[in-house]
Amino acid sequence: MSDQVHPTQLSTVMLQPASRSARTIFVSALLAVAIIIFPFFATPFHLDVANQILLASIGALSLMLLTGFAGQISLGHAGLIAAGAFTAGILSKEAGAPFWIGIPAAGATGGLLGLIFGLPSLRLRGVYLAVSTLALHFIVVYAGGEYENLVGGSGGILIPPPSLWGLKINTGKAWYVLLVAGAILAFLVTWNVVRSRTGRAFAAVHGRETVAAALGINVARTKLTAFVISSSMTAIAGALFAYYRGFVSIEAFSLYLSIQYIAMIIIGGIGTLPGAFLGALFVTLLPYLIETVVAHLPGAQAMAGSIFAVNYAAFGLVMIVFLVFEPSGLVGLWRRLERRLLIGRQSP
Amino acid sequence: MSELTIDKVTLAFGGLTVLNDISFSVEAGELLALIGPNGAGKTTVFNCISGIYRPSGAIRFRDRDIVGLKPYEVAGLGIARTFQHGELYGRMSVLDNLLTARHLRIRTNVIGEILRLPSTRSEERRHRDVANQALHFVELERYRDTPVADLPYGVQKLVGFARAIAAEPNVLLLDEPSAGLTREEREDFAHYILKIRDQLNIGMIWIEHDMQMVADLADRIHVLDYGKSLADGRPEDVLRDPEVIRAYLGTQAGP
Repeated sequence: MSDQVHPTQLSTVMLQPASRSARTIFVSALLAVAIIIFPFFATPFHLDVANQILLASIGALSLMLLTGFAGQISLGHAGLIAAGAFTAGILSKEAGAPFWIGIPAAGATGGLLGLIFGLPSLRLRGVYLAVSTLALHFIVVYAGGEYENLVGGSGGILIPPPSLWGLKINTGKAWYVLLVAGAILAFLVTWNVVRSRTGRAFAAVHGRETVAAALGINVARTKLTAFVISSSMTAIAGALFAYYRGFVSIEAFSLYLSIQYIAMIIIGGIGTLPGAFLGALFVTLLPYLIETVVAHLPGAQAMAGSIFAVNYAAFGLVMIVFLVFEPSGLVGLWRRLERRLLIGRQSP
Repeated sequence: MSELTIDKVTLAFGGLTVLNDISFSVEAGELLALIGPNGAGKTTVFNCISGIYRPSGAIRFRDRDIVGLKPYEVAGLGIARTFQHGELYGRMSVLDNLLTARHLRIRTNVIGEILRLPSTRSEERRHRDVANQALHFVELERYRDTPVADLPYGVQKLVGFARAIAAEPNVLLLDEPSAGLTREEREDFAHYILKIRDQLNIGMIWIEHDMQMVADLADRIHVLDYGKSLADGRPEDVLRDPEVIRAYLGTQAGP
């Protein structure tokens, strides 16, 4: 044998688990480049889709923290997004409050609601808890509807585009930059929580509560902390959504939205942070994908009316397929493919 | 003064008396074996100490009555325990599992953690060092970053043991640490139990079914039978006690 490394050997070496962190850096760098060059090539439509994905990512990260890490199931996510959106909208309309007040105010509102609606989690678990969080959804939707009636009609609230340091954020590109920053910030917040004392307590409570308590973890406090952080982030995502659309109406926040977020974290991969991004990407793109597919089917015109029904059905189907065949989501799928690739290379 | 005293503890669920007037105590640096047939109430005693059940009578840590404290408050006094089935967090690394036991000692708050302040980082590092020492104690350093679910059962039980040590407890409750282990793993365990007693001076209450191990290692034995204290004393006396033998083997059938 010569000293030369055979090409297949080299690639095996590069894919060895030992170089995992190096590979993570490589993938992150690639991703960073893609994110930076994207707006230079994207059409306004593509930018809008990208911005929707980024907004969804922030919401998905906060639900991932609550459900994926702390194990508390919530159907109140849409209600919290609505609460954030309305906080920003009402403050803007009634007091002319700027962006830099609207966002933290939404965060505070979300945190408070999270504290209140986290209380049932001290008694209830699993599906029962999920049902109790439904109350949050309906209360917020009711309050929002009442406000809309009060200000006249059900037209919703118009919000002028925000400005930061004198720059008006009113183009798709400007929003893209702002939302990329927001998503990175949301990622850092969740990552820092997950890898610290609080995050370990989340995981412990998610595992077995009696054991967590025997380890010295205050279970009630831990759950409420999870609800407060998650709800606060969710409401901020809602406020961003309101500013982005320039318009808030309660109709945008149906229970279906909560289910979409749950789908994001399941499809992405419960208990993983990259899963929140992958899930947000997948669930946001799915309707566009279906539309494209349906448009190419014969008799597309006839099916145009039922596109929503097709969307719902496909969505449900995808969720079931993931729950049955890949419970660890896209992240699990990715890891499995990676491993298979490794084994394939090692045995020629 | 004893580290932990169980004083006339009685526990009933409805009409069923599970523990009936139990009394015993453990000193610092003492290895007390708690034995008895299945259903004698051994784990129930642990659950009373841990604050999961609230019995009548007194349970004193040093001179403080701890009955009525919440489980995390009991843990906060330095009373750590292991569980029959390990009860570890499978997806977390071995080191992170150990760090969960240091929850009360780690002085960081959520805001500092979110911002990842320098003080948060140095505090994390400090406690990581302690957890690493606990791993070193049971010679498991090589598994430090492995998710617990990927480890064999015997190693997992040792991790559970290390997690209890990582809390730097005053009193350690061991719930059948050797159950399901092979002969060699049991010998390892025996080694570490003695190492704790001799090096860390911790009082230990040890639920065990392996009478050979108990006879070899325990300083003292307390026997429970149907929720009552049956015997208490040195292994060589207790294990020869006819009452104890009868409880374990049953009475001889009639002629």
